[in-house]
Amino acid sequence: MAEVAALVRMARIGKRYGGVRACREVDFSLGAGEVHALLGENGAGKSTLMKILSGDVTDYDGEIRINDEPVSFGGPTDAQAAGIAMIHQELDLVPGLSVADNIFLGRELRTPWRTVDRRRMDREARALLERSGVRLDPRRPVGELRVGEQQLVTIAKAISLDARVLIMDEPTSALTTSEVERLFVVIRELRRAGVGIVYISHRMEEIAQVADRATVLRNGEVVTSFDPRKLSTAEVVEAMVGRPVQTMFTTPDAATGDELLRVEDLALTPRRHRPGRRDPAGISLTVRAGEIVGLAGLLGAGRTELLETLYGVAPGGPRSGRILLQGKEIRPRGPRDALARGIGFVPEDRRASGLVLFHSILANTVLSSVPQYGRFGVVGRRRERAASVRMADRLRLKFGRLQDEVGTLSGGNQQKVVFGRMLLTAPKLLLLDEPTRGVDIGAKAEIYRLLGELAGQGLGVLLASSELPELVGVCDRVVVLRDGRDVASFSTADSGEGDLLAAAMGEGAVFEQVGGPL
Amino acid sequence: MTDVQDKPAAIAETGGGVVATLFRFQSVFGLLAVFVAAIIFSPRRDGQILFVSADNLANVVRAVSEIGIIAVGMTFVILIGGIDLSVGAVLGLAAVGSAVLMVESDWGFLPSVVVVLLIGLVFGALQGMATSMIGIQSFIVTLAGLQIARGLARIWSDGQGVAIAYGDGPDEAPESFAILGERTFGGLVPIPVLIFAVVAIAAVVFLRVSAFSRHLYAVGGNEKAARLSGVPVTRVKIAVFAVCGLLAALAGIVHAVQLNQGSPNDGIGYELDAIAAVVIGGTSLAGGRGSVAGTVAGALLLGVLNNILALNNIDSNIQLLIKGLVIVAAAALQRLRPTS
Repeated sequence: MAEVAALVRMARIGKRYGGVRACREVDFSLGAGEVHALLGENGAGKSTLMKILSGDVTDYDGEIRINDEPVSFGGPTDAQAAGIAMIHQELDLVPGLSVADNIFLGRELRTPWRTVDRRRMDREARALLERSGVRLDPRRPVGELRVGEQQLVTIAKAISLDARVLIMDEPTSALTTSEVERLFVVIRELRRAGVGIVYISHRMEEIAQVADRATVLRNGEVVTSFDPRKLSTAEVVEAMVGRPVQTMFTTPDAATGDELLRVEDLALTPRRHRPGRRDPAGISLTVRAGEIVGLAGLLGAGRTELLETLYGVAPGGPRSGRILLQGKEIRPRGPRDALARGIGFVPEDRRASGLVLFHSILANTVLSSVPQYGRFGVVGRRRERAASVRMADRLRLKFGRLQDEVGTLSGGNQQKVVFGRMLLTAPKLLLLDEPTRGVDIGAKAEIYRLLGELAGQGLGVLLASSELPELVGVCDRVVVLRDGRDVASFSTADSGEGDLLAAAMGEGAVFEQVGGPL
Repeated sequence: MTDVQDKPAAIAETGGGVVATLFRFQSVFGLLAVFVAAIIFSPRRDGQILFVSADNLANVVRAVSEIGIIAVGMTFVILIGGIDLSVGAVLGLAAVGSAVLMVESDWGFLPSVVVVLLIGLVFGALQGMATSMIGIQSFIVTLAGLQIARGLARIWSDGQGVAIAYGDGPDEAPESFAILGERTFGGLVPIPVLIFAVVAIAAVVFLRVSAFSRHLYAVGGNEKAARLSGVPVTRVKIAVFAVCGLLAALAGIVHAVQLNQGSPNDGIGYELDAIAAVVIGGTSLAGGRGSVAGTVAGALLLGVLNNILALNNIDSNIQLLIKGLVIVAAAALQRLRPTS
């Protein structure tokens, strides 16, 4: 492989953002027909490197050669003309347009009369989607699709560009297992056709399956390159983090207390239809004090919607079943009501629904509890500061000053701020929606440690997650949801990831779920 | 606390350094620059710089006070990511209301003022409800509110300006009302300026120390996150629009006193001047970022500019061009602001 003339060769690439060196003397190459995985914690420089290659970032040090020709891109259009396509982590689709319109955006097919040839576009879009293993109506608006389906549309779009170099930034983060399998089939086809693929992912097992070579970045520098089939996960993680990571998960304390939350046959029929959502259609579960209960299920199984219903932010509509908190029936009317009852919620997308990114760490940390630090509506500066410092210590928050904008923190530390805000309200029950998504390994371990600590203090936790190792490692019990119902419940002491997965997907009908209606 | 900030330190503080400081107090430096320019370009009489004469400066701030009072309320609305286009019309409604109640209905000073202020408060609160509870954008709600307030003012006054004469007789306003138009502190400070100053200082203090202001900034910064954090978003919005309406009504009373009449056409276009003052003051139209101190500086800057152009007998059409350019320049400067 090394002797083959490289399709892409990036040499001594450097890039600074202010005082931060995102990339330092990075050498990176990609052969035709090679899948090259790029690994590293958040902020290691993976995205910057790929933004340079795809023309998003144009001022950098070093040199890029394509087929041994030096190139210099003035923007993404230049890179595309050179055959480089990137599938962004943030999906760049127009929600109001149809699948076909999105795939051919900016290069619409025309009839001889120069009007848009919708029929041909629909037909070709359908063919492209089928090649990626998706059964989707190309006329459906993209905004109605599940996130996973949207991800597949961007992949189909990138493939349709007939690129020589395809950069995939966490392409599987919202895909179901069977969708991932299909994607790997497509990747292998592309590889055979001589396309070079850069594959960025946090999932080690995927990399072992699909990549020919892997490079690890840390603090903007290349740490090591290796054959992904030969190195163990522990070794890779150590290379990424820079130190051995012994225990990821804290063994949960088995001692649990009284029943805290009981949900009985909860169902909700929202008056307003929400495309791509799956509202509770009969869910029963319990959480005891000091217990961490996991919520497993595929995307669109109704995990988020259940948490939202418990927190009182689900849309209005007739509902049935009961929610009992410490034996008393409640009907959460909204976040204020829920918080007053001792229910806290950490939402899925901290940037969109968790933080005011350009406000200070302090203001974000105390947002839910600020009135309690003062008298007569006047905030006690010293008291809120003290509370904030105390929480930052407890969460081991890495920050400069409390006045710094929260947006300057790393993803993991941002998530800790959202946690801290909820903990300052002294909740009895914490609802967590994908609390470690986009969080690097170090911060993940700290969040797990915190969860164990909270449970030890008698807090009940309901944790929705797509990461099976996390569910098995952190939770005492896992409830599996499918189509808005609870279909199974496991004790993590005597079952593994395989059991969860089987229950989440249901028997047999795997492929049906991928293309079928929601 | 060591910081000398013009907004609650807890919300955000851009990093140190000269450049950052320049940008943070952009509107204050802008005001200083315009002030110095005004001294340089001021016409002189007998070696006296006309611009800095006590009388002229008092005139500048008096002329600014109405827009200034409105702009304080507008700052609150813009901080939560909204806009209030109805303030000029509410000013007109309040001016008509004060005149009609005192002159035609022979009400006393206090009941008239209280009722007029209440009208502004309720009008604003209703707009706040429409935008927060029904979910109509505030631009549309207050565009409709503008028409409604203007219509109400015309109906109430039969479409005529109502002149205010003072005295004890019927169809005369109480003498006490005229005090609002006079000057105090040895004839130096016009009462409207005093009112503006009190409103501005109260607003600055309120934004700095109150728990409510944290909620206000959070709603403007990220409404969804604020709601999920338990911030009473609906209540915050209604309160903010109510205060904005109240301040517009207060400005209307001041307006009526100064002109000795209440006309349904008073205050046309004032909403735009108020928005201009807020924008020059560095408050972001996207919400969640800005300060009342900046708005005060912005309003004063516009006032000084108007004054010096008028002193030099610059054509009023040219004045408009210059004002437009100043607004664009202020907004452009904010785009250059270093972000972290």
